[in-house]
Amino acid sequence: MATTATITLSSADIAGDPVNVSKTMTCTKAGTTTDLDQSTGLNRVHLRSVTNKVLLAANAEGNDLAAKVYIINKATDPTLYVTITINAQTIGKLYAGDWMFIPWSQTDVAADIEVAATSWTASTGDIPVEYALFHEDTDLLTNA
Amino acid sequence: MATTIATISLTSSDLLSSALAFSQTNPLNTAGSATGLTLTSGLARTTTIYGTSATIESTTLYRSDDALTNGANKIYLKNMSAIAAEYYTVFIDQEEMGRLYAGDWAFFPWSATAGTKETFIVTATGTVAAGDSWEFDGITTTSTSAVLATFATQVDNQHFPNWTTTRSGAIVTFVARHAREDGVITGDAAITGDVLYDAAGSNFTMPITGGTAGAGSRSESDIMIIPSVHTTMTLEHMLFHQ
Repeated sequence: MATTATITLSSADIAGDPVNVSKTMTCTKAGTTTDLDQSTGLNRVHLRSVTNKVLLAANAEGNDLAAKVYIINKATDPTLYVTITINAQTIGKLYAGDWMFIPWSQTDVAADIEVAATSWTASTGDIPVEYALFHEDTDLLTNA
Repeated sequence: MATTIATISLTSSDLLSSALAFSQTNPLNTAGSATGLTLTSGLARTTTIYGTSATIESTTLYRSDDALTNGANKIYLKNMSAIAAEYYTVFIDQEEMGRLYAGDWAFFPWSATAGTKETFIVTATGTVAAGDSWEFDGITTTSTSAVLATFATQVDNQHFPNWTTTRSGAIVTFVARHAREDGVITGDAAITGDVLYDAAGSNFTMPITGGTAGAGSRSESDIMIIPSVHTTMTLEHMLFHQ
């Protein structure tokens, strides 16, 4: 049940020499070479709340297990961004088209991944966000 | 303007009953614009290793001071280990984000919420004489003249490990290189650890005369890692930032 994630980072001009990074990982269970076997699938939400909303609810049973989170801001207006937090700790802002792929510890039930459509106004329209969770815990629940 | 492209491809033929395959490509732009990021740390490697009985400590990969607060900064991490059980725990400030197991990579935006850099002003006062000196931050400045402004220039020309300086007349303004809560300034009238040597007994002093002494505050999103084992592990990382 191999799930692979490949990243490519390339730039011909951000430095004096080109940047070319291409890495592929296989998503595995914690500390093993066994493939992750569960996923929420790809989800899509349309955000209009400028305050944090839970995107993925943490489950303490997920602590010490492997979980990977993919989130992308599908807006096309470059000024529209969403703010990603874990347990009130701001991770960063995803601007239009930006994506992220991170491991997620779920250290406790407070470690929710939350998102806020910080730049939303009535005139901007909703901000579409897509996300997916790949994980290993059979009891792991999300609010997807 | 530079152009940097980040692409992710996620694929699985058998995780679900239908094949999973999607790919997204996006240029890395500055916040709220279509202008490409122009700054990068370059691809770097950090190796961690500890003695068998040593305590494993966290390592700071990036300080919030390294990038623009609330900029469209991006961080790439990859655990280079080939041993499945070896992982790095990634923290943003005090919050554990997740564990990067062998071969895992991560890519995420970073707000780089910086704190306040402590700053203070000292003024060379009294009568300075050649041979008088003032030590601060481990650096001793010995006066070569009897002119206060000249001595202030000498102080300003030093390379303090934890502070940058500017000068105006006999006044030197110090700004910490990094934001921190527990700075060395204890108040408006004292500098912890500074040493004055008035060789000529001419009432030469270097008092704090202004600034926001004691007003430093810590950064709140430094990126830190902790390895799972004492033996050698290596992490590759790169920062794209404003």
